[in-house]
Formats: sequence, C-alpha cells, structure tokens
Amino acid sequence: MKRKTNYAVVVVGGGHAGLEAALISHKRGVKTLLVSMDKKSVGRTSCNPAIGGLAKGQMVKEVDVLGGIMGFFADMSTLQSKTLNMSKGRSVWSPRSQIDKKLYEKIAQQHAKAVGLDVFEGEVVGLNIKKNRVCGVKLKGGDEISCNAVVLTCGTFLNGLIHIGKKQIHAGRYGEERSKGITEFLNSIGLTSGRLKTGTPPRIKKSSVNWGAGEEDFGDKNPKPLSYRTKNFKPKDEPCFSFRTKKETHEMILENLHSSAMYSGKSMAKGPRYCPSIEDKVYKFKQNPSHLLQLEPEWTRSEQIYVNGFSTSLSEDVQLKCLQTVSGLERVEFIRPGYAIEYDFFHPSQLKNTLESKAIDGLFLAGQINGTSGYEEASSQGIIAGINASCFVLNEKPLVLKREDAYIGVLIDDLILKDTNEPYRMFTSRAEYRLQLRSSNADQRLLKYAKEYNLLNDETIETLLHKIEKTEQLVKKLNETSIKPVEINERLAFLGENEIKESQKISNILKRPPLTIKDFKIKNTRSKLLNNFMEDEILFEAETLIKYSGYINRQQEEIDKIKVYEEMIIPNNFNYNEIKSISNESREKFINIKPQTVGQAQRINGIRPSDISILLVYLRRPFHVKQK
Amino acid sequence: MAIVACSTPPGRSGIAVVRLSGKSALGIVKTFVGGGSLKKTHLSPSLVELVDKKRRVFDQAVITQYLSPNSYTGEDLVEISCHGNPIIVSKIIDLCIEAGAEIAEPGEFTKKAFLNGKMDLSEAESVSSIIHAKSLAGVRSGIKNLKGALSGSVIKIKKSIISCVANLEFNLDISEEDLQPNIINTTLEEVKAQIVVLESLTESFKESQFFQEGASIVLAGPPNAGKSTLFNALINKKHSIVTKEEGTTRDVVEKNFLIKQLPIILKDTAGIRGGQSEAEKQGILKSKEEISSADLVIMFNQKPQKPLSKHLYVFNKSDINTTTDNYDIHISAKENKNISKLKDLIYKRLVGDFSLGEVLLTSKRQSRSVLAASEHLKMASVLLKNGDSLELVVEDLNCCIMELDKITNKTSRDDILESVFSSFCVGK
Ligand SMILES: Cc1cc2nc3c(=O)[nH]c(=O)nc-3n(C[C@H](O)[C@H](O)[C@H](O)COP(=O)(O)OP(=O)(O)OC[C@H]3O[C@@H](n4cnc5c(N)ncnc54)[C@H](O)[C@@H]3O)c2cc1C
Ligand SMILES: Nc1nc2c(ncn2[C@@H]2O[C@H](COP(=O)(O)OP(=O)(O)OP(=O)(O)O)[C@@H](O)[C@H]2O)c(=O)[nH]1
Ligand SMILES: [Mg+2]
Repeated sequence: MKRKTNYAVVVVGGGHAGLEAALISHKRGVKTLLVSMDKKSVGRTSCNPAIGGLAKGQMVKEVDVLGGIMGFFADMSTLQSKTLNMSKGRSVWSPRSQIDKKLYEKIAQQHAKAVGLDVFEGEVVGLNIKKNRVCGVKLKGGDEISCNAVVLTCGTFLNGLIHIGKKQIHAGRYGEERSKGITEFLNSIGLTSGRLKTGTPPRIKKSSVNWGAGEEDFGDKNPKPLSYRTKNFKPKDEPCFSFRTKKETHEMILENLHSSAMYSGKSMAKGPRYCPSIEDKVYKFKQNPSHLLQLEPEWTRSEQIYVNGFSTSLSEDVQLKCLQTVSGLERVEFIRPGYAIEYDFFHPSQLKNTLESKAIDGLFLAGQINGTSGYEEASSQGIIAGINASCFVLNEKPLVLKREDAYIGVLIDDLILKDTNEPYRMFTSRAEYRLQLRSSNADQRLLKYAKEYNLLNDETIETLLHKIEKTEQLVKKLNETSIKPVEINERLAFLGENEIKESQKISNILKRPPLTIKDFKIKNTRSKLLNNFMEDEILFEAETLIKYSGYINRQQEEIDKIKVYEEMIIPNNFNYNEIKSISNESREKFINIKPQTVGQAQRINGIRPSDISILLVYLRRPFHVKQK
Repeated sequence: MAIVACSTPPGRSGIAVVRLSGKSALGIVKTFVGGGSLKKTHLSPSLVELVDKKRRVFDQAVITQYLSPNSYTGEDLVEISCHGNPIIVSKIIDLCIEAGAEIAEPGEFTKKAFLNGKMDLSEAESVSSIIHAKSLAGVRSGIKNLKGALSGSVIKIKKSIISCVANLEFNLDISEEDLQPNIINTTLEEVKAQIVVLESLTESFKESQFFQEGASIVLAGPPNAGKSTLFNALINKKHSIVTKEEGTTRDVVEKNFLIKQLPIILKDTAGIRGGQSEAEKQGILKSKEEISSADLVIMFNQKPQKPLSKHLYVFNKSDINTTTDNYDIHISAKENKNISKLKDLIYKRLVGDFSLGEVLLTSKRQSRSVLAASEHLKMASVLLKNGDSLELVVEDLNCCIMELDKITNKTSRDDILESVFSSFCVGK
C-alpha cells in the first residue's frame, strides 16, 4: 500500500546538516518533514565530542545568526569551553566547546518535538522525478511521500563500509545500518558520485586509565558562548587530559602497518590529510618523536572516553597493543575500537551556489554527502539548503552568501568550483577576506539576511541591531576623541612604548600593537538589551576595527573591484566549444563546472586571466557592466 | 577605469601618440594641461602645453578627443600627439597613471573596442589571439627566451614566500599549540632576503628602461668649469653658449643623443656658487633640482670625501691643470681629450655590463608588480619587527604573492594548504 502524505519539503537525514535544514524550513512556515533512519540518533555527533574550533567556531556563529541551532544547543550541553588561538591574530580566535554528546542529542530531539517538526523514522531509497523536477521520495518498503523539494543529507551512510584492520562491516556509523539506494538512483539519472574515507579513534574505559600520568587541561576562566541567544553561560569545566605517544608506540605501529586497512595494499578511498590516522602521522612524519593524545569525556560522568589524536584503522588487537605503550594507558581497555569508514559522496560541482542540483529542480544536497567533513561544515550547508529549499517552494529569491560575507560563502563557493578528492574541511586560510570574517562580527555580517529571510525572532534581531549600532558609535568615538599626554603616558611607558607629546586621537594610539581598548578609560556601553558577552564583544570589535582599519579598507577595495564580475551571468546553455582560442584544459573545466558567473569562472583553479578575457569577448558583455 | 598606452612604436620618432580611453580620460588629461581649459568636443584638435606636477611646461602637444560611442574603443578617447621623445612619452604616461589611469595591456584597446560592439563578431578570433599574445608579449620585442628567465626568478621568490606563509598558517590556522619558537625571526630573515632579490630585479628593469626611455644626465659643478664646453663636445654641436665669464649658463639647456643605442638626455646647468643676481639664483635652484632628479650627474672639478654613487667625478681642463685628487676621469673638453672614454664610463655607470640580452622585467606593468611586491614584503618586515599580529603579516605576504602572480601563474589557496600539509604533521 502506498501512503500518500504531502509535504512541501522533505529532509532526508537527521545529522547536523539535516537537522538545521529541517528546522529552518519549518521555522519559515513551510510544511516540512524530517525522515531519518533512526529517530533516536537524530542530532548525533558521530565523532569527537566537541563543537567549534579553528575556523569552525566562526561558522557556528554564522549559522547562529542565520537562525541555526548548533551553537545554542552546544552552549546548553557544554562540558568545557575555550577560545583557541588567543595568542595569535584576532581574526583566528576561535571558540570551541567540549560537549555532552548525549545531552546534545536529547536537546535536539526535544526541540524538534517542541516546535512541532514532523520526524519520521524510515529509509529513503529513491526519488520521484518528473520533468527534471523532484516530486517525492520513495521509502524502503514501498511507501512514498510527495513533496516539492528534497534536501539530501545522508552523511557517511551511503554504501558505508567500516574498516578495522582487515575486518569490514557494512554500516553508516558504528552500530548503525548503512543506506543503499540513493546513490544508485542518482547515478541512474546522471549524477556522478565518488568514494571518500574518514576515521575515528577508539573509545576507552575511563576506569582503565591511570589519570595521574596525564596532564590536566581546563577551559577558559571567562568562557564565551557560541550563540547570541545564550544569555547566561556558566558551563561545566570538566578537564581533558593530555598524554603523549612515545618511541615504542611508533615502532610498534610501523611494525604492524600491514594490519592497517590503509597500508595493507588495498586501494582505498582518499581520506583527509588534515585529520590523519595515527599510522599516517607516524609513517609520514618519522621526525616527530611524539604525538599528542587528548582524552576527552563524551558526556557528564561518562565512562566512555574519546582518544583524540589516535584515529586509526589498524586491527583491533594492534590498536590496543599500541595504545598500551603510552605511559598512563598501560592497562587501557576498549569500549570500541577506532575505525575508518568509506562512503559515497556526490561531486559538489553538480550543484548551484544555492546547493540545488543543476540538473534536477528542487533537489538540494548538504553535508558530508557533498564531500565535506565536520559537524560545522554540515550544519552550515544544512542551514543554507534548508533556507533555499523553503525559498524554492515559496517561489522566493534564494540566499547566496558571498565569500566576503561568511565562511559559509567560502565553503559553498569552494565546493562548487573545486573538484574534491579529499574530504573538505574549513581553514581560515581558505578565506581571502579572513580579516573580515571574525567570530566577533558574525552578526554584523549576516543580520541583514536574517532579517530579509525572517530567520530570527524579533527580539534577537532588535538586540543584535542595537549591538551593531553601539559598536559603530564606539568606533566613531575612538576616532574622534583626543587623549592628553598625562592621561596615557604612564601606561605607554609601562608598555615600553614611546610617550606622546601632544594630544592625539585615541584611535591613533590604539593602533600600536601592545595597546588595547582597556588602556583607555572609555565610558562603558552598558545597556539593558545587551548581556555581558555582547558588551565584551563590542569592545573587542571596536578595537579590532581600529587596529585593522588599513587592512580592512584595502580588502574592501579589492572586493568592490571584483564585484562586477560576480554580477556577470554566464547563460546556462553557453557553448564553450565555440571558443577556439582557449586551451582544451580550460574549456574542459568550464564545461564540467559550468560556472554561473564570470566571477566563479575566474576562481576555478588553473583558469588564466587570458581565458577570462576571451570568455568576456564571447559573452559580448560591455566591459563596464552597469551596476544596479 | 581609464587605460593608457603609447600607440606609436617605442623608441625615437618625430611624433608620438599617447592614447587614453575611458570615461575619466578627459579629466585625467586636464590634470596636466596648462593654460586654457579643454572643452569636451568631438574631433576638434587643440594645441596645448603639457605641464608637470610643479606646473612647469615640458612639451607642447595636440590633443584630439573622440567622444563615446564614436571612438575606436567606443568609450571617450583622448589622443595626445607629443614630441617623439621617450622621456616625454614616459612622463605623460606617468602623469596619467598618477591621475588614475592604468597601463593598458597589449591588445586591451582592441578588446575594449570589441566588447563595446565597435567590431564585428567575426573578428573575435583575431581579437582573442591578440589578447592571448599578452603572455607572449616577449615575442614582439624579441626577447622570448628571457621570459623563462624572469618567471624562473619570480617563481623562486614566490616559492620562498609561499613557504613562509605556510609556516605562519600552520601556526595560525591549524596548530592549537603555542607559536613555534623562532618563527618570527626565520620569517623575517627570509622576507629580508627576498626583498633584496626583488630589488635587484627592479634595478635590472631600471637599466632596461633606459634603453626604452632614455637616461637623464646632468652636467654640474662650479661656474666656468667647462660644463657647457663638454655639453657641446658630447653632442658634437655648438648648442650651449661658452664664454670666459663665470655664470654664463643661466637656464637648463637640453639635448638628446645616443651612446651605443642608449638614448641620453643631456642637461647643461648653471654653475653653482654663492649666486649674484636674482636670475642666477633661480638658475642655481634649477640646477639643484635637476641634480636630484637625474639618473647620473657629471660633477666637475669637485671631489668630496664621500663620493655619491650617482655622481661621476670629472677633472676637466687636464690640458692646463693637474691634480693629485682621485677623479673618475681626467678630460679636456676643449681639446676633445678622453671624451670617448668618458662616454664608455657613462654607459657603464648607467647600465653596467648589462646588455639588451639580459632584460628581465620588460614592461612597466611587470616592474610595477615587482615594486609593489617588495613594498608588501617591507611592510611585512615592519610588522614582524614590531611584534604585530601574524595574520597581518600573512596578509602582506599574500599580497606580495598576488603581485608576483601577475607575472607568473596564479597561486591558489590550495597551493598554500598543500605546502602546509607537506611540511607539517597536521591534525591531532
Ligand atoms: C567515523 C567518523 C569519523 C569522523 N571524524 C570526524 C572528525 O574527526 N572531525 C570532524 O569534524 N568530523 C568527523 N566526522 C564527520 C562528521 O561526523 C560529519 O561530517 C558530520 O556529522 C556530517 O553531518 P551530516 O549531517 O552530513 O551527516 P551525518 O551526521 O552522517 O548524518 C546522516 C544522517 O542521515 C541519516 N540517513 C542517511 N541515509 C539515509 C536515508 N537513506 N534515509 C534516511 N535517513 C538517512 C542517518 O541516519 C543520519 O542521521 C566523522 C564521521 C565519522 C562517521
Ligand atoms: N684649457 C681648457 N679650457 C677649457 C676647457 N674646457 C672649457 N674651457 C674654457 O673654460 C671657459 C668656461 O667654459 P664653459 O664651458 O662656459 O664653462 P661653464 O662650466 O659652462 O661655465 P658657467 O656656464 O659659467 O657655469 C671657456 O673659456 C672655455 O673655453 C678645457 O678642457 N681646457
Ligand atoms: Mg655654461
């Protein structure tokens, strides 16, 4: 019997991508269904119990301003919070929270219920498509659900295959079924897929560790929340512990390399270089005498401990033997071994910058299925796919973030223009406008979209507007107010700086590296609407805007200069074969990627400026496009 | 954005035509036209005086305007027909750039013409091949093989900067631990070393530019030293007035001539002394200005303790006087003694052992990139010394790479990450 249910948007998969997509679409008033294989695993963090971190913390804040839930839920389940990179540049300061995985899942599932999102347990095995347009999903068992748009967020589940040494298990995640059908269906209608690989370390028993041998590590004294909606943030501060591998560990790993799924000579999908297995680290970086292992609790009073830094696909007995060479882990016992997992992904160059398929209208893909790795990367795509799927059914203009708007913009632009051959993870250095993409100005960058697409409630919008306004006022004040020598010279002398002889604008002195805004007695910005975190952020932002003004202005000029190219549309049916004078290689890239704008075309790797000039000639566009 | 280029072949000719195309073209030209104001009219040539930044007239020229869309490019276009002196042409182009124009790439005028619908679509192929020829610009100037040499040295510099960036990025972007010790010092050392390399590239450009645009030489020294006599000897013509009296030359006298293919613009100046009349004082002031802007100064009968590298010290009247001081050369302007030796010396001073075969940076565009690249490195080294934020250092290094990319292939963000991954054990 075929069930006939009708939804506007169906989201397939309840991981971080799917959850954000379904919740935002629902929030925007579109009839939305979340279908996932296991209701109890909705919101699960597959791997390490942490959210945020370098570049990722910035993305969580962006998702937060776009109405996402990741940061808010993480704040509620924080076990330890820390801002990384404090000793380095301010645009790379990145908040991170260790979280209670179980609590996070619970909050997510309760929230879905509380807001009235329909969640259905089932496995999607195919889609209904009419005239290149999605009109429903097919479930295992024969049921169908009709809808106008689908968001696929199948994570590592499509034909997932776990490797532990030579042992192979069909699974989507340890202990969860894999999913079969979607890859085969999409391949049959012409979409191309590939295989990627990722890995996870063993989980060990807390009681089997000699904790005294490790180095205790706590979070920040004044932790900062990931979400603007968090008003009071007094998280737990449970310690993590550092241990180190040693010579014996490395020798044993090298002796047993043949037991590793990756080194056994079998051809395997490509894994991420930035998240190497322990056998990779030992093999490729023989000069490093020791590698850091961090033991992190997975939930409050958890008996299950995550061994950060020991991702592996060695056989289980070898994993155990090797880990036992580490001082403090001599008697360590496993709850489960580390493993590598291979899975299908779809080449993201088949997507538009809205995350909608170029070939099938109404079909959106987000998360690991697009070749990324990481919760934050998944959630970033989820929020955009969710917003755009709802725009699609509502017939509204889709949301596209630019590279200068957000890491999310960088992420999607990179995905659609590069051919991934390893899982894509965000790094701050991927953003050419990194200095503009600070975690402390996510609101300033994205609030306009939140307003336009109705993504936040009025109260939050009002608060953030107020905060932005306060920041601008403070910057103005710093630029206009002068300070007398007597007011600052003592401080300057203390900092080893040259004293001033005449009154100077505060901003002028603040630009000197060792000075901070706290060195000037600025009347504080207190206001009923703002909490302490926001007030701190205002000070920090204003200080940054002054200190970096030269660089920020230069980047802005660059952005303005290339803007015209972003507005030059390349028609979908543009015939690249007509252009004779570009190299075959460039032509092939154009044909494969089908850039939507000249700006995109320019960013494709290996495309030369002369190719673009020629393209322009053929597009017959006047050199100076009239700006709207 | 307006673009500018000399549309007559480089070198010396009777008349040179500089073209400027773009909405702001006329506005730009107005910044260096003296006297009467230019009216915006299609096709009515006007004779004007061209003035430098100090409003001094340096040439007379005919200016013709072609108003959009009735011009070659379809945009407003201004043609400046000036005297075919490479230095004048170069000055006009510099003034245009200062007022906001950009140097046109080869084929860019034609490209604009096409894009603005001034040409038939069937011409697309030939246009695109012109554009394509940009990367082969060397072919025309006959220095094709040298392109490899240039990009070779630029690639080397880039590689070193990329590895600096990779080092810094590893610390900023990936490692959660403290900064590597020494990273600031090692980066600073490397950056400084690359500044030296970039500067030597600029130097070689300057030399090659002398061939294209000429070098200016100023004759200077006390009155009556024989400057004007030498002037006439060098150009082989009685052009500057010679008398027995001190203070004969009052104003700057100029003439062009060649030393082995090398165009020289020679300037005779007023002898420098206490100054008598107002006119002479003015003349002496001008002499000093000329000295400071010259490529080479021939200094007469004055040898200071600390010789300046821009100066060539000449002892004149060696037919009647002698000296124990150590001069670069002893001559007699009057008797034409050692004049050809002097010419050799001048040539050597200006372009060294350099011959056209070694031209590396062949276009102004390239040399501007190299200059900008080295500016960014200098900025980075200041930041490093001040202990400023490393992400700003990276920003300047990235800008340096971007400038060098204009000469060689583009560097992508992946190239940098690639370099990080291959040198560091990344990930926990
Ligand atoms: C072993 C392993 C190690 C990892 N290591 C790291 C790491 O170290 N660092 C890091 O940042 N990230 C790591 N990740 C990646 C991170 O977990 C993912 O990138 C992120 O969770 C992906 O989110 P997602 O929403 O795309 O998919 P997932 O979180 O994988 O969720 C997919 C969801 O879709 C459901 N689903 C799948 N197919 C169907 C179907 N046909 N019908 C219905 N429902 C379906 C599943 O039940 C599941 O709920 C790892 C992942 C794994 C599995
Ligand atoms: N014997 C001899 N006389 C020279 C020589 N060079 C110049 N004179 C004479 O020196 C006198 C001054 O020569 P100028 O060339 O006018 O000198 P100047 O340096 O131009 O002088 P001012 O223009 O007044 O600064 C003239 O009478 C020349 O003939 C030389 O090499 N040998
Ligand atoms: Mg004279």
